[in-house]
Amino acid sequence: MNVRLESIGLTTVVIPEGRLDFGAAADFRAQVERVLAGAGTGPAGVIIDCAGLDYVSSAGLRVFLLASRAAQRAGLAFAMCALKPAVREVFDVSGFSRVIAVTADRAAALTHARQGSA
Amino acid sequence: MKRHTSVPSDAAQLSTLTQFLQEFWSAADLPAAETVSFELALEEIFMNVVMHGSPAGPVPRVEVSLALCDGCLTLIIEDDGPAFDPLSLAAPDVAASLEERRVGGLGVYLVRQMMDAVSYQRLGGRNKLSMTKRVREPTP
Repeated sequence: MNVRLESIGLTTVVIPEGRLDFGAAADFRAQVERVLAGAGTGPAGVIIDCAGLDYVSSAGLRVFLLASRAAQRAGLAFAMCALKPAVREVFDVSGFSRVIAVTADRAAALTHARQGSA
Repeated sequence: MKRHTSVPSDAAQLSTLTQFLQEFWSAADLPAAETVSFELALEEIFMNVVMHGSPAGPVPRVEVSLALCDGCLTLIIEDDGPAFDPLSLAAPDVAASLEERRVGGLGVYLVRQMMDAVSYQRLGGRNKLSMTKRVREPTP
């Protein structure tokens, strides 16, 4: 799995691409933790843009849950966006769609982040 | 159509099994939208076997088979490790708040929800988990 980062204003966008399975989860978690740690000194929000994410298992869901919780504790806005159907299905079945802000696209996630950090 | 493979109970084998499933999918020309249920079932159950396998002693062997019959696909995962019924795991509270959410048991819960039928048997010193789902309409 490949992960790209982009900065938009005070928000950091994390872009995982490929498959977030058990084998990829540990590295992805470390990358997200670095973003969250850096976010404390500047960025007011973190968005995970899933437009390039093809698959997620419970190992990947765990990383999203921990990241969302860490962001909440640090007072950072957190949202996920652009879930493909296979990822969306796993989110819905697991009930994660109810505890993590999920938006249709990045623009809506940015709006959510700005409101969350206001 | 039937296919079978066998790997040691080692997390590094997950990619081998995923490839085995994807090759079956292409060969059987199955709908892409249904892949996720089986990729997920394969990963969650295989990783459960890896986590619950013998801490000492020989590495368990894991047998994986796929059989397509009348539009229903059956995935069977068998291993010769210690007796362990993943279906005995308590279901997570999927309505819990963000702070209270736990991930333990979530993988097996997802498999149960996304498959049409799931069953466990302990047979001759082996764990056998069978999972079935309709992946396309039966041919008339």
